[in-house]
Amino acid sequence: MPEKQKLIEVKNLKQYFPVGGGNVVKAVDGVTFDIYKGETLGLVGESGCGKSTTGRTIIGLYKATGGEVLFNGINVHGKHSAKESKVLKRKMQMIFQDPYASLNPRMTVADIIAEGIDIHGLAKTKEERMQRVYELLETVGLNREHANRYPHEFSGGQRQRIGIARALAVEPEFIIADEPISALDVSIQAQVVNLMKKLQREKGLTYLFIAHDLSMVKYISDRIGVMYFGKMVELADAEELYRNPIHPYTKALLSAIPLPDPETERTRKRIIYDPSQHNYKEGEELEFREITPGHFVLCSEAEYKTYQSMYK
Amino acid sequence: MGKLLEVKNLEVSFQTYGGEVQAVRGVSFYLNKGETLAIVGESGSGKSVTSQTIMRLIPTPPGKIKNGQILFDGEDLVKKTDKEMEQIRGRDIGMIFQDPMTSLNPTMKVGHQIMEVIMKHQKLPKSAAKERAIELLRLVGIPMPEKRVNQYPHEFSGGMRQRAMIAIALASNPKLLIADEPTTALDVTIQAQILELMKDIQKKTGTAIIFITHDLGVVANVADRVAVMYAGKIVEMGTVDEIFYDPRHPYTWGLLASMPSLDSDDKAELASIPGSPPDLTNPPKGDAFAPRNPYAMKIDFEMEPPLFQISDTHYAATWLLHPDAPKVEPPEAVKRRLRKLSTNYPQPIIVRESE
Repeated sequence: MPEKQKLIEVKNLKQYFPVGGGNVVKAVDGVTFDIYKGETLGLVGESGCGKSTTGRTIIGLYKATGGEVLFNGINVHGKHSAKESKVLKRKMQMIFQDPYASLNPRMTVADIIAEGIDIHGLAKTKEERMQRVYELLETVGLNREHANRYPHEFSGGQRQRIGIARALAVEPEFIIADEPISALDVSIQAQVVNLMKKLQREKGLTYLFIAHDLSMVKYISDRIGVMYFGKMVELADAEELYRNPIHPYTKALLSAIPLPDPETERTRKRIIYDPSQHNYKEGEELEFREITPGHFVLCSEAEYKTYQSMYK
Repeated sequence: MGKLLEVKNLEVSFQTYGGEVQAVRGVSFYLNKGETLAIVGESGSGKSVTSQTIMRLIPTPPGKIKNGQILFDGEDLVKKTDKEMEQIRGRDIGMIFQDPMTSLNPTMKVGHQIMEVIMKHQKLPKSAAKERAIELLRLVGIPMPEKRVNQYPHEFSGGMRQRAMIAIALASNPKLLIADEPTTALDVTIQAQILELMKDIQKKTGTAIIFITHDLGVVANVADRVAVMYAGKIVEMGTVDEIFYDPRHPYTWGLLASMPSLDSDDKAELASIPGSPPDLTNPPKGDAFAPRNPYAMKIDFEMEPPLFQISDTHYAATWLLHPDAPKVEPPEAVKRRLRKLSTNYPQPIIVRESE
């Protein structure tokens, strides 16, 4: 295996939102992780746990309250020249959850896809621009006749393909997919996931895949991070996380997924997570600690020792 | 066990500018007292229209029940007047909708919304209705119901709102509960709680449930029997074990194979179903699934398949079960699930000829 190269480094990222009356919501509260080149990092958690906010802050849709995000060593939230910032925006793209709301209904598919090409001057002539659009449409499994149509003429799955084509148009290295399949039908979900995997193989893309459908996340991801109330509580290889979940919240989350097998469902035992079960003492430091190589858990010093002895 | 509900050859259409959309095209099924039937299918398959037709919630026009019977406790709901339906809706049949955010009235206290049902159908005085409302909130697992009863929906979280919806649906002890994607908008942990709650209530009250969903995991968890719908028809129906361990229709295969499995470390490409569902203004000739079906034969494009019976409870409409059809192998992911079921007939029997 070649040396893993860090593409994204998220360091102690914090994103607070003021909610009036001097109160703040700590949507993301000190999250640290890396994303390696060419891998897919899955991010799971319940709604409101901060997984979407994390994605949006990484790409710079929000100004981070604290901490930093490095893309190839460049601070995303730092000051850079117009040229630098343009490159940054080209290298990072996003696919949104709602394929109905994220495409401008008054633009043709060709214009939607080519908007990035125009802004970044990636095509010299009109012909070249259209050629790129046609190629992109074919890459995502649509055809060139679709270029002059409007978004309302497409189904949800097709729209999501248009969203993917738009993201690919500027030849990004890193794509944040925020619940890209949760608005789609089961039979279409597999199509879109297969497409994303194929594009990753062909173009060496890196993904941050945010979702709450844990079985899909496990399927597409190399590593998975679990978030709970603005903190990342566990991060491990996808297989490892499912086989040996350590944090009690991860265990609870995994035990809640209904599986398409009636027999396991009949004997299902659900684990319920209660944050008070940790019994943290006053002044105990919670830190993201490595239990086994590559498997991190948010825990106290005492818990760290117990976990280590359990998984040795 | 007696049959509580029997739907016979139901056809529902909608008039639109684009022509007549045949949303439900001849659906027949039954539901026994106290059992749970899951209806599975993708959007546009007609599962929601079917359930809303049972409640007679389809706006007419543009909707129209073109054919068929809905026998509920022996009475045909299709023939009921709107006035008569008002008596049945909410009293005998309760409904839980997908979106708890939009289906509660934001300007009414939660308690009042529950009391409304009780006062209308059980003719109880206000004070008694309130007590019953508190009792119901307790039943659905809402803490401090005495306080919650006086709160507005915005003071409830998503999961709590869905519980309140269930309390409303249960307010008059319905014989049938129709749940249209009740957990789709919820997180997995909350979903697990709501599913447990529904099963628990069913045990206590003996109500029958029609559970509409597209999530096969949820189906395996709650259902006694399953009906798989595609393009306005039921393509396969059977007990939950028959559908998951011995599926016969290629669409059911496709659904099962397109879900990644949590236990397997298999990273092979997911078996997706190509294409998208047909346009029901112009339903295709023959089997509506044929254009997306890798196992389709010539006859699938010409004639609708007959309905085969595989066991006392298992039905499937596919030409693949015909004695003259070539033997085919289901996809790998499905083959791994297959089990020999002892209840199967030696040979599938044709119970409805092709049309």
